[in-house]
Amino acid sequence: MSSVWERVEPLLGTVERPARYLNSEWNAVHKDATEYRVALMYPDAYEIGMANQAIAILYERLNAIPGVSAERVFVPWVDMIERMRSAAVGLFTLESSVLVRDVDLLGITLPYELTYTNILEALDLAGLPVRADQRDETHPLVVGGGPCVFNPEPVAPFFDAFLIGEGEQAVAEIVSAHREALAGGLSRPDTLARIACIDGVYVPSLHEPGSAGRGVRVTKRVVDDMDACRGPLCPVVPYMDVVHDRVAVEVLRGCTRGCRFCQAGMVYRPVRERSADTVVRDVLEGLRCTGYDEVSLTSLSTTDHSQLEEVLRRLTRRLEGTGVTVSLPSLRADAFGVEMARLVAGAGRKSGLTLAPEAGTQRLRDVINKNVTEEDLLSAVESAFRSGWRRVKLYFMLGLPTETDDDVRGIGDLTAKVLRAARDVTPADQRGSVRVAVSVSTLVPKAHTPFQWQGQIPREEIERRQAVLRESMPRKGVDLSWHDADVSLLEAVLARSGREAADGIEAAWRAGARFDAWTERFDLAVWREAFSSAGMDIDAMAHRSYEREDVLPWGHITSGVAEDYLWAEYERALAGEATPDCSFEACTGCGVCGPAGLGVDMVLGGERRGR
Amino acid sequence: MAGDEFRLRLCCGKRGRLRFLSHLEYSHAFERGARRAAIPYSVTKGFSPHMKAAFGPALPVGTQGLREYIDVWLTRYVAAETVLAALGQALPGDLAPTEAGYAAAKEPSLGAACTIGVYEVRVEGGDVAQDIVSRALDDVVGAGVWQVEHKGKTKVFDLAESLPKEMDVRSTGEAEVVVGVTTRMGQGGSLRPDSLVSHALSRAGVAGAVTLVTRLDTLIETEEGTFRRPI
Ligand code: SF4
Repeated sequence: MSSVWERVEPLLGTVERPARYLNSEWNAVHKDATEYRVALMYPDAYEIGMANQAIAILYERLNAIPGVSAERVFVPWVDMIERMRSAAVGLFTLESSVLVRDVDLLGITLPYELTYTNILEALDLAGLPVRADQRDETHPLVVGGGPCVFNPEPVAPFFDAFLIGEGEQAVAEIVSAHREALAGGLSRPDTLARIACIDGVYVPSLHEPGSAGRGVRVTKRVVDDMDACRGPLCPVVPYMDVVHDRVAVEVLRGCTRGCRFCQAGMVYRPVRERSADTVVRDVLEGLRCTGYDEVSLTSLSTTDHSQLEEVLRRLTRRLEGTGVTVSLPSLRADAFGVEMARLVAGAGRKSGLTLAPEAGTQRLRDVINKNVTEEDLLSAVESAFRSGWRRVKLYFMLGLPTETDDDVRGIGDLTAKVLRAARDVTPADQRGSVRVAVSVSTLVPKAHTPFQWQGQIPREEIERRQAVLRESMPRKGVDLSWHDADVSLLEAVLARSGREAADGIEAAWRAGARFDAWTERFDLAVWREAFSSAGMDIDAMAHRSYEREDVLPWGHITSGVAEDYLWAEYERALAGEATPDCSFEACTGCGVCGPAGLGVDMVLGGERRGR
Repeated sequence: MAGDEFRLRLCCGKRGRLRFLSHLEYSHAFERGARRAAIPYSVTKGFSPHMKAAFGPALPVGTQGLREYIDVWLTRYVAAETVLAALGQALPGDLAPTEAGYAAAKEPSLGAACTIGVYEVRVEGGDVAQDIVSRALDDVVGAGVWQVEHKGKTKVFDLAESLPKEMDVRSTGEAEVVVGVTTRMGQGGSLRPDSLVSHALSRAGVAGAVTLVTRLDTLIETEEGTFRRPI
């Protein structure tokens, strides 16, 4: 297999940011003896994909297997795509610049619905048929993974297989089954039948849509011991500025706060913390072998970690005088005590303070099970502004179930109180610099959450509620921004549709949709037109609700959380009843833990406090 | 404050495929390498402390540099060879330093001192030949001044001032020549040798294109008007 670098290099003089295509970054792995080659693709530009932890983890694990090499692939920016197409250069891997169509396995992570057209663009640029049923033994096996595969149906026709859930252990099993199939000269269908036997693997060609009973049933994979699965210790260090340009150390997985709109909180259960010792060790090791000057302690809810204070104290001591800063991805109102504020400020005040009350009234926060009270929020703001913060960002959602105009106006009232609390504790001469940023999005009901049966509110209604909200906002000291309602609408369509949506996605891509996650490139009109040409109405799809007895398009995929539990949670939501967090209080019976569930248990490093 | 610090001057490079790094990417790559090498670098005081390092004149994306200079301040004296070896281990070969030496604290910054760039511009294509390219360049130089439009701004270069040495053209193969250009940066900015050569080619109607630009050397002009290396 030969490198196409010599044909790539002449294209680089005239494209934007050629550092995207250079490879040879520090810690990139180059294996000479390779019997089996994997391309790991993130379906967006380099600077977005390089932040992805899943790719980094699988890259390191696959490269550790003798005879196997894993190389990275990102979607070239549109200018480079054009150059490549006119020079007839196919999509290539970074490390050895081999053509993606020549590798054995193409693994694609599905981070976000709006990257779907990029997947088609990449397959096509690689010279591969975009539909799995058009591909054969001469093509790589195309396997999807990542957050969006919990409803794989809208993209099912483009993939040979999906891995549902955590990949650390499963990837090696897939690779070894595929190597055996290749050695045995198996046909593509026989190969897929063999791979489908691996736990957590879903082969869409073996499943008839809408037939939850007759088709296959796939349960997600889950890692039982996070300390045994060390993250990427020596991740590739990019040359160009990328998002999250720092060492990322995962401190825990899973979150059981139980916010009813949150898919991650449902599908990554149970909570598994890594111990303070392994976290500290991995931070120091990661800094040493990357040369970064910043480290981030990542997870869905870092401040919930039972040993976080100890970790921060130890790191502050070890990193003193090096100019290295520690950041937390987001700080939660309820766990963000005075002590934490002081520690984070001591370790380098780089974290922005972001708080997500999500709803403006206590009634509606109970509906979504966001157990944050107004007092929690205001005292967190006070302690942060006392410790020197001057800005805070608040996240809210519109279109939550049972929402009334009073709830919408509640967002403005709460913002005004936050502003007042922040100003009150800020020295008079600095009050002018106090800012509250308010970011408002529209609820996108997601599969595998208690709101999965519910449709998104109609487009006109979103606009009406936005107007109500705008009216209720304080005029001064607030920066109000909106997540584009057009984008939310498409997210809603792609998050909860069945396999029929694939025709719409393909039509949109053929009509030129690419890089839809980039605001300046997104155009809902193209999508509306594409879906309608495929006989579908995008607005109706976003708004569609399902009944309890309906077979959900993703009904054959399970995260371990029982559908009955989700339904019970939905009913409690409508009744305004909160459900406690099982990592602080007793089990609430979601069905994940123990032998009757996924056979794993919650792992805590100590007792969780702070609720 | 500078008195108790040690200013080490390094001669690095931006070679091979890494010529496609922007100046910012290049400087980040160096700083990360220096942290990996665990050399005792000084950290600036203030709100966001960072490594104390200063870079010579920037190279454009795509232009290779064989002798690019970086000053890095250390908190204690370490033999230059020791730093050189540590950085050699911690930086990609295309960036790794080849020389190091201590510089006086009072010396002007690299950015201000290094005003002379010695370049090689490779030209390839159709009717490229030594005499044709030489003639095209002579015509441009003969005009005395060269006016460039860049991002809506007009720059005027006095070529006698901007080109302290005569350009030379060497044939390096079939339809391929290398033009040696030495430039002096002045108030009006720095002249891009590849733009100058491209301008000459198109003005003379020569079919050919610049395929590689290399800065061979970055030099300091002394008061006597001679050129010397920064280390
Ligand atoms: S089974 Fe119980 S303890 Fe386990 S994640 Fe679900 S609610 Fe929590």
